[in-house]
Amino acid sequence: MPIRRRRLTLARLTVTAVVALTVLSAQQLTLPNEKDSVHFAVIGDSGTGGSGQRQVAARLTTMRASFPFDIVLMTGDNLYGDEGKSDYASKFELPYKALLDAKVKFYASLGNHDEATQVMYEPFNMGGKKYYTFKPTKASVRFFALDSNYMDKDQLAWLEKELAASQSDWKIMFFHHPLYSSGMHGSAVALREQIEPLFVKYGVDAVFAGHEHFYERIKPQKGIYYFTSGGAAKLRKGDLKPSELTAKGFDSGYHFMLVEVTQTTLHFQTISDQGVTVDSGALPRREQSAKKDQR
Amino acid sequence: MGNPFGVARGVGKQLPTWVGAGLLLGVVAASALTASQQVKTNPEAQTLVDFNERVKAYLTLRDKVDGEAPKQQETKEAAKIQEAQRGLFAAIRNARVGAKQGDIFTPAIEKKFRALLSPEVKGQEGAKAKATILEEKPVVELKVNTEYPSAEPLSSVPPTVLQALPPLPKGEGLEYRFVRKHLILLDTRANLIVDFLFNAIP
Repeated sequence: MPIRRRRLTLARLTVTAVVALTVLSAQQLTLPNEKDSVHFAVIGDSGTGGSGQRQVAARLTTMRASFPFDIVLMTGDNLYGDEGKSDYASKFELPYKALLDAKVKFYASLGNHDEATQVMYEPFNMGGKKYYTFKPTKASVRFFALDSNYMDKDQLAWLEKELAASQSDWKIMFFHHPLYSSGMHGSAVALREQIEPLFVKYGVDAVFAGHEHFYERIKPQKGIYYFTSGGAAKLRKGDLKPSELTAKGFDSGYHFMLVEVTQTTLHFQTISDQGVTVDSGALPRREQSAKKDQR
Repeated sequence: MGNPFGVARGVGKQLPTWVGAGLLLGVVAASALTASQQVKTNPEAQTLVDFNERVKAYLTLRDKVDGEAPKQQETKEAAKIQEAQRGLFAAIRNARVGAKQGDIFTPAIEKKFRALLSPEVKGQEGAKAKATILEEKPVVELKVNTEYPSAEPLSSVPPTVLQALPPLPKGEGLEYRFVRKHLILLDTRANLIVDFLFNAIP
């Protein structure tokens, strides 16, 4: 082989190696992956049945090998369009088959594209309710799923009762409409005025929402960490207009989140469908009672 | 209140004469009492009582036909969810075949609802609520007894608006929703438009 061609080949190989290394490092876990911590994933606006959803699902499955999570929070719009048997199959069961087969539990919240009858679908683990709470065994983390489409008096009363009763170290909310957003839909101000005072009063630590088809981490508001994760199958490129609220954003690809909660810290890693880490960090728990949740 | 759904009421068994006489006396006394109460009652409060009764009558009808459809319960099988919903939808639709717009939102109730909604969507504060309602632009044929199309998004209803409207029976799956400026009463179990109110908000 002539010297020039050999050099070119070598250069190409070097470039390929560098790219491979970059992608590999991007896929590398930034989370501590401790044995006794709570691991979960977050997906939002996921129910299209399209290639974006399948790509994210595949990436999520791959990441589980290095970061074993048993919980996936769904921030709503779980099924776009029709909701027949084939839709549940193509927009949920097939894309996440590997995770479902591995007994990963999905916990859904309702988006504005979801029919209320989804609460009856066992793999969504909603227990027949539009809003509900659950707590992983032996962990001091309690999750609350809300129906942000319809925050009536009953739901508000339920939320206050459940928050007041919870003695978990970590209280984590998930629902569809972001209370703070720099996107097309904007912040759900009317909703925020009703529920954020309860979050503050009862020490909610983190909130995961969807609705906007991108990722945005909001600068902490009143001591609460807010994330918008609504791009697990839908994408509005360029829709995020970073504002004074924005700590970090990503709107050029699909994404999902991996989260790890230790006793003192919430670690997160946001990964694109291409396997690139677009945001990561560690957020300390706010000061509150360290009593264990006995419920 | 009349029977707004045109459902034939069953005729009971023949009662003994003394029971009949007693009942008659009771009815007469109750009617006299009701009449005197009505004079004293605030007509607006009466309108809300009427609304609640009409909603209750709808739910009674739904309960009656519920058995005709597969039971709605938690299941792993998605097909059963749709089967139960569609079955209930068809059963209700058949049972209230003569239902029309205004059966629940009568002119008096309509007037009351507009009065309740108007302050919630006015001014700077109200603008936020209105923006929430109008954020989604679903394309829905407004017709009583029809299905809310699956492919169309549902509007979010601001908490302040929900607090202003008469509460709907808990846990029955009835919800207030908006299709642009029109208010609908949606049965989420059957995905059926029970009634609607044109241009409910300004």
